[in-house]
Amino acid sequence: MADVFIGLEIHIQLLTRSKVFCSCPADFGREPNTNVCPVCLGYPGVLPVLNREALQQAYMTGLALHCTMAQRALFDRKNYFYPDMAKNYQISQFSHPLGVNGWIEFDTQGERRRIRIHDIHLEEDAGKMIHTAEGAQLDYNRAGCSLLEIVTEPDFSSGREAEEFLQAFRTMVRFLGVCSGNMEEGSLRCDANVSVNHPGKGLGTKVEIKNLNSSRFVRKALEYEIRRQSRLLRTGRKIVQETRLWDEKRGRSESMRTKEEAHDYRYFPEPDLPPFWLDERFVQEAEDRMTELPLQVFDRYLREYQLPEDTARYLAEERSRCRFFEQTMEYYHHAKTAGSWIKEEPAAVGGPESGRVTPEHFAGLLKLCDEKAVTVQQAKEVLRLMGETGDAPEAIIEQEQLQGGVAEDELKAIIELVISRHPDTVKQIHDGNVKAVGFLMGKVMQESRGAADPLQAKAYLLEAMGISEAD
Amino acid sequence: MKYEPWKALTASDQTRRAYQEALVRADSEISSLLQIDTECGAEDCRFDADSSLAGVPFSVKDNIAVRGFQFSCGSNILKGLTAPYTAAAVQRLLDIGALPVAKTNMDEFGMGSATENSAFQMTRNPWDTGRVPGGSSGGSAASVAAGLVPFSLGSDTGGSVRQPAAFCGIYGLKPTYGRISRYGLAAYASSLETVGLLSGDIDLLQEVFAAVSGRDSGDQTSNSIAPLNRPEENTPVAAVLSGMEGVTPEIAQGCRQAAEAMRSLGWEVKEASLPSLKYAVSAYYTIAMAEASANLARYTGIRYGYRSSRAVSQEELVRKTRNEAFGREVKLRILLGTHVLRSGFQDQYYIKAQKIRTRIRGEFDQIFSQADMILMPVFPVQAFEAASGMTPLQQKIADRFTLTANMAGIPALAFPAGLQDGLPAGMQLLGPAGSDELLMHYARCLQEVLPKDPLPLRLDPREVLHG
Repeated sequence: MADVFIGLEIHIQLLTRSKVFCSCPADFGREPNTNVCPVCLGYPGVLPVLNREALQQAYMTGLALHCTMAQRALFDRKNYFYPDMAKNYQISQFSHPLGVNGWIEFDTQGERRRIRIHDIHLEEDAGKMIHTAEGAQLDYNRAGCSLLEIVTEPDFSSGREAEEFLQAFRTMVRFLGVCSGNMEEGSLRCDANVSVNHPGKGLGTKVEIKNLNSSRFVRKALEYEIRRQSRLLRTGRKIVQETRLWDEKRGRSESMRTKEEAHDYRYFPEPDLPPFWLDERFVQEAEDRMTELPLQVFDRYLREYQLPEDTARYLAEERSRCRFFEQTMEYYHHAKTAGSWIKEEPAAVGGPESGRVTPEHFAGLLKLCDEKAVTVQQAKEVLRLMGETGDAPEAIIEQEQLQGGVAEDELKAIIELVISRHPDTVKQIHDGNVKAVGFLMGKVMQESRGAADPLQAKAYLLEAMGISEAD
Repeated sequence: MKYEPWKALTASDQTRRAYQEALVRADSEISSLLQIDTECGAEDCRFDADSSLAGVPFSVKDNIAVRGFQFSCGSNILKGLTAPYTAAAVQRLLDIGALPVAKTNMDEFGMGSATENSAFQMTRNPWDTGRVPGGSSGGSAASVAAGLVPFSLGSDTGGSVRQPAAFCGIYGLKPTYGRISRYGLAAYASSLETVGLLSGDIDLLQEVFAAVSGRDSGDQTSNSIAPLNRPEENTPVAAVLSGMEGVTPEIAQGCRQAAEAMRSLGWEVKEASLPSLKYAVSAYYTIAMAEASANLARYTGIRYGYRSSRAVSQEELVRKTRNEAFGREVKLRILLGTHVLRSGFQDQYYIKAQKIRTRIRGEFDQIFSQADMILMPVFPVQAFEAASGMTPLQQKIADRFTLTANMAGIPALAFPAGLQDGLPAGMQLLGPAGSDELLMHYARCLQEVLPKDPLPLRLDPREVLHG
């Protein structure tokens, strides 16, 4: 056995309208090199102007991570040549990061874990270099977009833990509204540091893994790296300090550069940006914009509403779900029912893309359902129509004539019809295949357009086939 | 009106054409201008603005962006680049109707003291074409001294406005850091440099300063500090720098003459010393080169400017472009700047230099607690001979009087203090931060008592239209 230490370096693209040091739009998916100006293209003579909103969102993230926050934002230049970086230096924070010494909790395998945050710092993103048959092509649309780097302490010990953390972290930044959290599109990126050492010997030689484009890759790449280092350790070979690139197609990592080839970034204070004082007004504004975080919401839902864990977890994943749930609870009092409906009907309620159902209408529908004015099946159909029209449930029930319940003789007639249409199934049931009753039940419900009370229908069905319910 | 003859030159397409031709002729012997275009700026210029500067032409150092004009910084690496935007200082002038008509020659990226490090041409001193005009804003200074334009925008990183102004016998203002926006000034050493102003006319200099100074949202290091005022009734106190080793007898004489002029005005004149002056050159070049190594990293041939045609890979493209297109002095400074910033070497060089910088600031504060201004030479020698006059190292050491103001961020004004041996011997006044206007006021007072020597004009605006 060996001790495993994993630290993550997470980059999040902040949700600012414009870039961090110029006024170019920061939206994505545009034609290459259309969201650019002399500043983000690094023309001679241009100067950066700090985007206050980027600093606000960075500050909020720092608060969420319980960091000790700086009193003034100071920037440094990080020097290295790369074609997608227009100035060949990156404006970043090195000597005085925006936040330090933080922590964050997350749930993994039924346990609540606390991860320490080393620091968070605000910087500018680079452009993109695309390798094509004709050669390398450069797109600077992303160059200069606001990027926040979050560096954790080496507090993880498995790939799975890191994966689960990343998912929780993603949920958190989406909750805060500071990042879309889309790893595939690169709005949330992750590098990992891994060191494996003999038990009790502390940190070993650090290896950095890059190119982890999903939380699943993070787990796979880390598991691969732990195996690789463990093998080296077991066989008494040397672990080299290096940066490795994960190759998802081949399921392995390759050395990118060793310590000797590492960049000397020659950091020095950015002379073009004076210290930005994070005064009382700035801090107050960031604090006012803070929201309850997913884990707090989860805990509160268990405590306040006694929701099942999976329902609470589901709701606490998205702010839109929480908002919808809590607004529904102003009109309706069975939290568990409301929660499970939101969880089961994501297309209709709680999602950012869901229809025009208001919490009040939704609560009304749940009440009608509780009063058995409509059956559950009918209610689902009503909900779908509510999403399309934005109408109240009563109006839709009226219009579609979906009143719950079917007259006794009508129900019996439907059952006779179903039995007469499926003699083979009836025979199977008589031969002992009790499960086939479900098939006939489905047919009965379908014929009644979901209006039949399932319990009543089943009792009549069994009776009609001459089977007592006890059988 | 004072500037009428100049305004007449820019009044119409026709007069601007005549001016264009006159500029070409007048510049032929001094080669101060890299690009002459009296029409290019006209579209953006608000000639009808209600300003005494409306219609007044000016030249702009080629490291300051003017949309539509070239933007070479005196370097082959930016050959062919047209500025896609306009610098804040130039824009403010366009907004009140002043017209940029030419881009001026300079040492490559401002690195030099003679305008001999230009990739394109050598500029000559209009007083004596066998001599250099100084640098790096040598083209700006020569164009003003020769009367091609009434004023020019330059840049001063360690004396690059004041030294050529002194060599050419005109005024050169390095303002307080932050009082003129740097937006649009191609960066060499960001924490040291400012846009600077050159003119033979102190009143015009002050008007231009009023127009271009003030906070600009495009430069967060710019500010709108209130100009320093001095109670009228107090007698000005001038401190003359003592212990000026290594200056020529002519410069020493010029300095004595200026101090004498001050006494004749009834000012109190005393001595002051800057003990850290002996470290200033090393500290200055450490910081300047460090910043330059980062500021010049953007020139790779990928997005604009010169691109090597000999490269077969992306890495090679950057390497070959930079190797082929940067001059020797630029390469030297990038290499040294890279060296002093290396991890493990910063304490020894960069951080130590910053400590010296802090100490120099402190010494200035000390002097300004007891004096309104400091008088000292701009440069230890007068305009030297072209091609052989001074080695690059000698030039750097000779920057010691000018670069202290850049280290401290304080204003300094070079002013003509009379001729010695037939050549200008410029002196400078330094004041506390925000005293830019006061320094110009003092210089105006001194003008009354110092000898007035006519400039070696090569263009008379009255003759262009009527001659």
